[in-house]
Amino acid sequence: MLNRSSIGLILNAHMPYVRHPEYPRFLEEDWLFEAISETYLPLLRMLNNLRDEGIPFRITMSFSPTLCSMLTDPILQGRFTNYLKLHQELGEKEVVRCGVEDPESLPLATMYLEAINKNLEDYFELYHCNILIGFRDLEESGHIDLITTSATHAFLPLFSQYPSTVGAQIELAVQSHINHFKCRPKGFWVPECGYFPGLEDYLKDEELAFFQLSAQALVLAEEPVKRGNYAPVVCPNGVFGFARDFHLTNLVWSNVEGYPTDPEYREFYRDIGYDLPMDYIKPYIHEPEVRVFTGFKYHAITGKGPDKVLYKPELAARKVADHTKNFLYEIRKKGKDINKILDRPPFYTLAFDTELFGHWWFEGIDWLESVIRKVAQTDDIVFETQLDYMERNPEAQVLQPALSSWGAGGYADVWANGSNVWIYRHVHKAIERMEELAIRFPDQTSLKQRFLNQAAREVLLAMSSDWPFIMHNDTFTTYAESRIRDHLGNFNVVYENMCKNAVNTEWLVKAEKRNSVFPDIDYNIFNPHSDRNRYNG
Amino acid sequence: MITQNIDALSLSELRYVAIKQGLDDAAVMDREDLLDTLKELYEERASSIFGEGIAFSPSTQPRFMNTLVEHDSEQVVGPLPGVQPLPNEYAETRIHLLLKDPYWAHAYWSVCPTDLQKLESSCDSFTFFLRSSIVEIGDQTREIDSYDIAISKEDSSWNINLPEQGYSYLVSLYYRDDKGNDGLLCQSNSVQTPQSYFLTHTEELQTNDDLFTLLFSSLVTKGGIMIDNPLLQEVIKKLDKRMEG
Repeated sequence: MLNRSSIGLILNAHMPYVRHPEYPRFLEEDWLFEAISETYLPLLRMLNNLRDEGIPFRITMSFSPTLCSMLTDPILQGRFTNYLKLHQELGEKEVVRCGVEDPESLPLATMYLEAINKNLEDYFELYHCNILIGFRDLEESGHIDLITTSATHAFLPLFSQYPSTVGAQIELAVQSHINHFKCRPKGFWVPECGYFPGLEDYLKDEELAFFQLSAQALVLAEEPVKRGNYAPVVCPNGVFGFARDFHLTNLVWSNVEGYPTDPEYREFYRDIGYDLPMDYIKPYIHEPEVRVFTGFKYHAITGKGPDKVLYKPELAARKVADHTKNFLYEIRKKGKDINKILDRPPFYTLAFDTELFGHWWFEGIDWLESVIRKVAQTDDIVFETQLDYMERNPEAQVLQPALSSWGAGGYADVWANGSNVWIYRHVHKAIERMEELAIRFPDQTSLKQRFLNQAAREVLLAMSSDWPFIMHNDTFTTYAESRIRDHLGNFNVVYENMCKNAVNTEWLVKAEKRNSVFPDIDYNIFNPHSDRNRYNG
Repeated sequence: MITQNIDALSLSELRYVAIKQGLDDAAVMDREDLLDTLKELYEERASSIFGEGIAFSPSTQPRFMNTLVEHDSEQVVGPLPGVQPLPNEYAETRIHLLLKDPYWAHAYWSVCPTDLQKLESSCDSFTFFLRSSIVEIGDQTREIDSYDIAISKEDSSWNINLPEQGYSYLVSLYYRDDKGNDGLLCQSNSVQTPQSYFLTHTEELQTNDDLFTLLFSSLVTKGGIMIDNPLLQEVIKKLDKRMEG
């Protein structure tokens, strides 16, 4: 059909590297476990069901190297198993308790318990504790395109003055992707949509054909954009940039007017972890008596006040159907306006954090499934990946996008404000010193090589956008700040020892155990003069 | 801290959160008082984080905030053997400029103790100041305009206003001695503010409805709110002005 609109959905799956084998349980590790049980496993089930039924869909998914590393880490895999089993026990206890004390909530307790049992079954029997297998399988069957993002999800504009380091973030990400998915990624998720002019040069060197941009990146370019955000542009070096559609994204993403705010949907913030007496819930929260979310949530959003009605899945399902219709209506309405003035059918780039679906928005995966099913029944809208579109439309306007991000204000303010900007003095210094070490001590072997490789890991982990983001939001600041300080302090151990031609082996052994991300890292990646490094500024 | 929607919490949850936030009277406070006190607390924190003159604009990407309060657990990751606390500054005379957005950059600097000693021995007293310069970068860097910012010896960072778009900026750290002589201590890297075509060609948007629809229909919410961006706001302001004119 001539005027068929395309939905170019990109889901970014990312978690910061959190792994603390030195503690039997560590609260922040729950971020990963909640994402696996509430988002990744249910998403895999949904996509596999669609595939099995022969429903067509094409979407792009990015998996961050830190997330891939954690998903394949035996210690975290074991801990996730414990997490599931603990929640299974809580579910069984809840079914009994609700049966006696709260019969209205019993169907919900049963629903959660069934989901946990399904997760356990899938995790062990289908994926053998490595859920990346499931996503790789979906790529092999032609349903998703897997792409990568920078090694530690660094907000790259704040490091643009360090070409070797930006190059290292991207080259390492590609290596990690190949290790986990056995093929080279063809696209790149720009962390936080943080783009600076010239970033595409690094992507081209790694054969990455496209990336996504914030909604304002094209309209604010130095030259006039011709097709708005309804078609990608091609940077002067040939790499494609897709700007996201803020209007359509906001129907889903907004915490003010987005679909997830509907009163019938499940309330995220009411959880038995906070509601039930301490003596009952204690075994399922964190020590010492730190109340946390358990995932057992029995209330609907209802309204702004504290009085919440019981969550009714059947009412929420009706809302999912309504919101599916509304979403497709908005797409068609938009297409009608845009088709009149555009020389080709529009391509809508919708870019989301994957964890929105299922975790934050409990019904989000059902909504996505419903949209995919409805789209499959129409001939005026199609799910198409960025690579599909580029193949079909190799001609694009040549344009250099503008500096931009999807953070508040549209630039770097979230990652460089009064709460967190102090970190850059230290992170930049560590980067400079890492580059200095790589130049002064190239191609080391044995202990020194391990020492320098660990230094490279620590610098990269300190660059993660997650720590300043968390500090900006004033949540978990103690942990975020301690992580930054630890990585930089660790790096300084290597720098100071190498300057004395020494290796601190006690530190090295412990640091390798604690921060074991990127096992194949080669610190020479930071050497701007190395033959293997193309980013010599 | 609570990330969003504290109005939705039950009284017992609010009390729990308040106790964790250090409010001693939480157990006897009623719901309204708890809400008011907590909101006040968060506003105070937000303003202390963002500082004066910088609009507080909460992020709409609620990622990783999976508990209602920051836990005060004993579980803090301890440093490994041999790890020293980070220094406040490094022993070098250097200034670094970081572009935050089209209108603001952040400068941080340090002055090496030996340079300080030299200064102290060469004059009775001296002060520091920053010179923010708009420059043209070519074979040789040419200063187009500049302004000075008085700073104290204790300062080590400053937010720098960037008044013009599409230009390069750099910041220099100077001392001024008791005789009024200025001396350059160090100069930063340059940063370039973005240049936007439609900021200087708003007439094209005014006269071409199709173009306006094409460019702006993907930048506004269903409720008509435009994406948060200072340059886009300026474009719209200019357009409004032209329409009024």
